[in-house]
Formats: sequence, C-alpha cells, structure tokens
Amino acid sequence: MTLLGKRLARPDALDKVTGAARYPADIVRDDMLRLKVVFAQRAHARILSIDTAEALAVPGVVAVLTARDVPYNRYGLVEEDQPVLCDGVVRYWGDKVALVVAENVRAAELGAQCVRVAYEDLPAVTDARAGMARDAQRVHAGRADNVLKHVRIRKGDVERAFASAHVVLEGEFETSWQEHAYLQPDAGVAYYEDGTLVVETAGQWLHEDRKQLAKMLGLAPEEVAVRYAKIGGAFGGREDLSVQTLLALATWKLQRPTAIVWSREESIVGHHKRHPFWIRAKWGAARDGRIVAAQTELIADGGAYASTSAEVLKGATLFATSTYEIENVASDGYAVYTNNVPSGAFRGFGAPQAHFAAECMVTRLAHALDLDPVEIRRRNVYREGSIEPTQHPLPAGVSAAAVLERCVEEARARMHYGMPDLRPRTHLRRGVGIASGIKNVGYSFGFPEQATATVELFGEREIERAIVRVGAADVGQGAHAALRQIAAETLGLPPHAVRMITDDSARAPDAGSASASRLTLMGGRAVKDAADAAKAKFPGPDAKATVQFRPPATTALDPQTTAGRPNYSYGYVSQAVEVEVDTRTGQIRILKIVSAHDVGRAIDEQLVEGQIEGCLAQAVGYVLTEHLQLRDGKILTPHFSTYLLPTTLDMPTEVYPVLLELADPNGPFGARGVAEMPLVPFAGAVANAIYAATGAWVTQLPMTPERVLAALSASAQLVPHERPRDPVMPLDQHR
Amino acid sequence: MSVAPPKMLATLRVNGAEIACAFNPNRTLLEVLREDLALTGTKHGCEMGHCGACTVLVDGETVLSCLTLAVECVDREIVTVEGMAGAGELHPLQRAFVECGAAQCGYCTPGMLLSAAALLESNGAPRKSEIEAALAGNLCRCTGYVKIVEAVALAAERMREAAHA
Repeated sequence: MTLLGKRLARPDALDKVTGAARYPADIVRDDMLRLKVVFAQRAHARILSIDTAEALAVPGVVAVLTARDVPYNRYGLVEEDQPVLCDGVVRYWGDKVALVVAENVRAAELGAQCVRVAYEDLPAVTDARAGMARDAQRVHAGRADNVLKHVRIRKGDVERAFASAHVVLEGEFETSWQEHAYLQPDAGVAYYEDGTLVVETAGQWLHEDRKQLAKMLGLAPEEVAVRYAKIGGAFGGREDLSVQTLLALATWKLQRPTAIVWSREESIVGHHKRHPFWIRAKWGAARDGRIVAAQTELIADGGAYASTSAEVLKGATLFATSTYEIENVASDGYAVYTNNVPSGAFRGFGAPQAHFAAECMVTRLAHALDLDPVEIRRRNVYREGSIEPTQHPLPAGVSAAAVLERCVEEARARMHYGMPDLRPRTHLRRGVGIASGIKNVGYSFGFPEQATATVELFGEREIERAIVRVGAADVGQGAHAALRQIAAETLGLPPHAVRMITDDSARAPDAGSASASRLTLMGGRAVKDAADAAKAKFPGPDAKATVQFRPPATTALDPQTTAGRPNYSYGYVSQAVEVEVDTRTGQIRILKIVSAHDVGRAIDEQLVEGQIEGCLAQAVGYVLTEHLQLRDGKILTPHFSTYLLPTTLDMPTEVYPVLLELADPNGPFGARGVAEMPLVPFAGAVANAIYAATGAWVTQLPMTPERVLAALSASAQLVPHERPRDPVMPLDQHR
Repeated sequence: MSVAPPKMLATLRVNGAEIACAFNPNRTLLEVLREDLALTGTKHGCEMGHCGACTVLVDGETVLSCLTLAVECVDREIVTVEGMAGAGELHPLQRAFVECGAAQCGYCTPGMLLSAAALLESNGAPRKSEIEAALAGNLCRCTGYVKIVEAVALAAERMREAAHA
C-alpha cells in the first residue's frame, strides 16, 4: 500500500487553475438556439390560456413550447408528479409555463416577455402544518390530503417509559430552507450526434438523468446520451432535473442544437431547496443518565412536487434519536405538499434537521440531570451491536463512541474545554458546545443500490496502464481523483497511468449518483473489485473486467411493526464548537470548530479535509447567515445580496478536521463516506455552545441576531434546573 | 422594440496581446471576454457583482467584469486567468492552488486567483487576516476557504524566496 491517504494533485486541478476547464456555460456555441423559460410567478393558479402569437412575432423567435409539446409530461426522481411544462395548473412560483426558443439570447428574452398567460388564482398553501388540515386547499387535485408521505417508527413503549422516567423534557424546533448556491448556475447544451440526442450539462447521476429524459420523449434510454461538462458544485441541488428537460425537449422537437444558461435568480427560483422542518420532541431519562424514551413529531415542507421528499423524510425520522440507543422510540415524520418551492436533496438529506432537535434535547437532559453533556452522550451512544429505532442491530463498524472520545480530547486541547473561565464577564460571552451525529452512506430503506465499473489493463509482461470506466459524477468533491487513486493502488500503477472515463452515459457504466456520501464506498468498491478481477486475467488477451458491486441489502420498514434494516453503512461524527455571543446585538461568532469523523480509511487526506472544511462552511451558513425567505410562495431572497453565503471573514479562524480510520467492512480499503457528515450535528453543537455561553436556547434556524436576542430575553424565564450554574458548568462551560 | 446600438471598434489589451474587437458599447467586459474573445476562464456566477467569480485585473486592480463595460477598459491592461501562467510555467499561485487542493469544483478559482494576485502585487508578505480580507469578495461554496488561504500564503512565501534568490 503506497498511495492510500496520499495528498495527490487532482487530475482536474491544472485545467481548473488555468481557466481551461469547461463548465456547461463554456460549451455554448453561436449556432445553438437559446432557450428562455416563462416562469409562473404565482404560487397557485389555473392556467386559462397561453397566447404565444406575440412572442412568435418577435424576430428571431423560432418556437414557443408548452405542455402540449411534451410527449410524457411528468417526471421526478422518486414519484413522477412534476410537469416539464405546466398543464392547466401552476403549483409554485418557479413552475415552468412555456419555453421560448430563439436564434439568440436577446430574442429569447423578448419572446418570453411577450408570452401572454391568463391565470385564475387559487388559494395557496404556504404553511406545511396548516396544509395538513383535512379541509386545506389541495396542492394536487385528487389526493385525499396534502400529506405526501408519513413515516412511522416505533420501538418499545414510550408512554410507559415516560411514566417512569426521572426527567422528561419537551422542546420545539424550527428550521428553514437552504439554497444549494452551487457557484455555477444551471446551464447546458443539447444536440444530435450520429442520431443520438446528447444532453451535456452538470448533474449528479448520468444514467438516472438519461432515464428520465428518455421517458419524457418516449425514447429508449440508448437513444439519449447524457454527458457532464465540469460541474460547478451540486450538494444535492443537481439531483432533480432542472434545465435538462428543456434542452432535450427543444432539441428533439426542433432537431437543432440548443443552449440555456440560467441567471443566479433563475437558478434560485427554479430548483429545489433543503426542507424546512418543524419538530416537536419529548425525551425522558433515568436518574443515571440513561435516555429511556424519545418521542418526535417532524413536519417537513415538501413544496409543490415530491422530488426526494419521501426519502429525506425517512432519513430525518430515523435520525430523530441521533446516535443514541434508546429503548423506547416513537417517531412520526410527515412531508407535506405546499405551494412553496419544492424541497429535496441537500447535503445531509434530512439528518441535519433531525439532529438539531435531538442534540439540543440530549444536552438539556444532561443539565436537568446534573450530568455533563459529554457524559450523557457517553452513556447512551451507539456501540457495536446497538439496536436501531427500527429494531435491528446497526451494521457492523459502529464507531460513534470512539469518535466522541476523540472529539472531546481535541476540544480539551484546542478550546481549553472543561477548564474554568477566569476572564471578566462582559457582553461578549463564550461557550463550547458538543454534538454528535450519524448519517447513512449510500441508499436506504430498500432503494436499489449498486455501482458498476469496468477496468481494462494494458502492458507486455507487467501492467503498464489501465482504463477505468465508471459513470460517477465529480461535482467538485474529487470523486474522480479518489477513484483513480483506488484503481492505482489496487493495480500498483502510478495515478497518471490510470485513465478515467467517467462523464458519458454511453461510455461509462452506471455507478449511481454522487449523493448520500456514497461514491468513495460504492464507486470505489466497484473500481477496486473490477481492478482485482482484471488483474487476475493479466497477462492475457482480454485483461478486462466489469464488476457490479452490491452492498448488503437494506429493507423498507414493515408497515405494521416498523422494523427493518434501513442502511448498510454509517458515517459517525462528533463536533465541538466554540462561539462568542454578543449579548447586546445577538450576533454569533464561531471561533473554533473541531469536527471528528470516522472516515474508515482516507483515500486522499487532502480530499477528505476539503470535504470537511467545505461542508463546515455550508453548515456555518445554514446555522447563521443563510435565510431563504418566502412570502405567499415567492422567494424574497433570490440573490447573493440577500441570501448570504459565508465569506472568508465569516469563517472561524480555527477549523480542525479530525480523522479516525476505523474500517467499514464494505468500503474499499475500509473507506466510508464523509461528505455530508459535518453538516449533521453542527446546528446542535452551536445551539449547545450558545446555551453554555448565555443560558439561552435558540431553537430556530438560521440563528439570526433577532432570534438570538429573543432567546436571551426568554432565558430569564427558564425553570431553575435548566439554567447554567454559576460558577460555570464543569464541561459545557461559559468563558 | 429596442434597436441594438451600433458596434464600436476598439482594441483591447488582454493578457499582453492587442486584440481588435467590435462590440456594442452596452456590453460588459465579462460578455466580451467570454463571447467575443472565447476567454471562458472568467466565470459568470450572479451578474450582479455579488459573487466575485468574474473577477479580472484591469491595470493591476481587481475588477468585477460583470459590472464593468468593455468600453471602459480600452487602452488598459486586462489580465484574465488565461494570462496568469508564464511560458510553460504556472504562476506560483496556480501551482499552490493545485498542491493545496484549493480548487474543488473550480468555478470560483479564476476569480480567487486574480484577487490573490492583486493582493500579492501590493503586499508580498500578507498576514492570514490580510489574505482573508483580500478574498472576502470572492464566494466559494466548496472549500470553506481554508485551503485557498493556505495556498495564497504558500505562493507568497515562494515568491519571496524566488525574489531573494
């Protein structure tokens, strides 16, 4: 083993620093027709008529496409409930009503302004909880109600456990939408090549995109090729189709190459977001710190279309108890259709919202029991063989306790965690918060999981070079670098002797999506196993192997007992966060972060650190600055002037990624996923730190200054056992 | 319907080359660079001056090319990411970005590199806080900035060493 863990230059790095890398907007040619979407710009309405005559009269406009031009006008990753172009009714502000095709951008824009749509507005559902009412306006006519998914998990008997618990606490939590804000706005081109319809964009799963596009047009999947240009970030935001349907439709219809480049505003209005959740939690513990029961209700705003809501909700409901083994669990998750922007996949996939509530509840229980927040975690954290809320043991390789201990060790070294604060008290208060988390690697709950790779070897007597074919998206995370490193390590080749073919659905087999932190484990195992199989045939005339890797099967939950095996692998994380609270302004500054992860085996340490540091920046934004606001279904913050991403100056000056390497039984060389983990416990860690600093609980995300100030003034009314002691608590202390 | 204004003929000095162009006076430098000169290394991220992805240098100063008209840049020295490398050799910043893993998706990278180049031009030994301040107008959604700041510090150190050698 020579290459594992090594910090190698990424294969795409040179192109990215010289400007040679080609992203979707960089491959637009002058001879391509340009597309412009006519967005609904209303939350809920019936379409009475669409008049395209004026638009068609604009010089340069070639066509105006509407629902009637779409052969099969329903798509979606999980449930096909979203129209490519609206047919009769619009269900959210960013619904697409018509598509103008023109010889140039200017004509397309003018044409779009000249499409006349007559609407009859309908009552809009803009609040998920109100939308659950039986008499609420239906977002999708014909459904019994607006609940798009209910997930129920039961283990033991919570009522009996609460009755005998020493302490029982209740809490309510609220989270907001989050915008992916990948820096490269949605764009792409489509054209015909030797009779194949080629759609070249940025996405997260070549073969799934192809499947959906082919179905829309009534074509065989092989008649469509999806290619990825360089992808400028994704984070779950490119899992759903956005511009791909429009490109494929227009090129198929007009038999001419087409291109589209969305503005930032179009991107923010036009694609899905992280789900806002409302969570009510009730947790009980015995006198010795054992958590005996947790009851949680989670309500998610799914927006106008299903997207991946059902799957996100399953994750959130499963992780309502974070990384603790609790004998009695009752969790009910609801995803609700509304006339807001659709919610879907975003790094963490439901886990960050659920953990925010759970990790605050655990720390509150600790204080109520006069235990330190680490100790209560230590006494309840998952161990090898622990039983999940779904009544089966966790998959082998449970490292939650080791990760927690390592995090605390680092926090003591980096933050003087546990030491009394001797500085004079001012309006600036400091505190350290601890939180832990768990998140599945790979698909869950019986969703078919596989990755396929082909490895071909060349050389006389020794293997001299290899070609690896694996249809896996490098969204920026470095998947191609990691997969190349795995192949090179397996074959004993220098990385530059491994050629990667990865970005064309026609030339590389399906490795599944760049999501669920799965590509290193899944794609990596497929590549490793194919490399091993090819090596066994070498030397020989046909030293080539294709391997489909399938991990241990997961299952859907039994509808009666709710038992099941939801996942085959988990990532474990613990964090310590030091904050400074300005008690006069409500401003929070994050000073230091320790983020400890079991990564199984770091294939490339630099890539792993990069994932942790980058994910933490998104976590900082999620918790503090990123406030996507809607009114009556309209996004009020569609620019980076009002939707605030963290800059260099918003990030803490000290960020410590800590890697543990406790092998996953299925991962290549033991590697497991890491990409989402830092977002999972972060909000809870910050809330716990604010509590340690001030005695106030902030229960809403993002933690804007107004909300922090409100929490500070409310904290005066807390019951005595919930207030921090003075002098400081021994561990979760203020400084 | 509006009529496009007549194109103007002008010479732009881009990356050391004099290029005769014809463009409408209402077009931004970003559009002219990308669409007329095929210099697509300069990125569009928001078209409103919020994200910094379109940062280029004009007479050594960072400029948001999405908010700058091309006509304002006539007779001035424009540098884009394509002009950073010398003959067959990367700029020390480019090399440091490669080595430090400072480019993930890479979309913010050209703007970051040019903001950093402007900093190092005026301050050869920046403190960490000065690097952070100089890059505060360039959003990155992937890296968390840690490795970008490290890369700039590394490049600065190497450039100082080279100057003393």
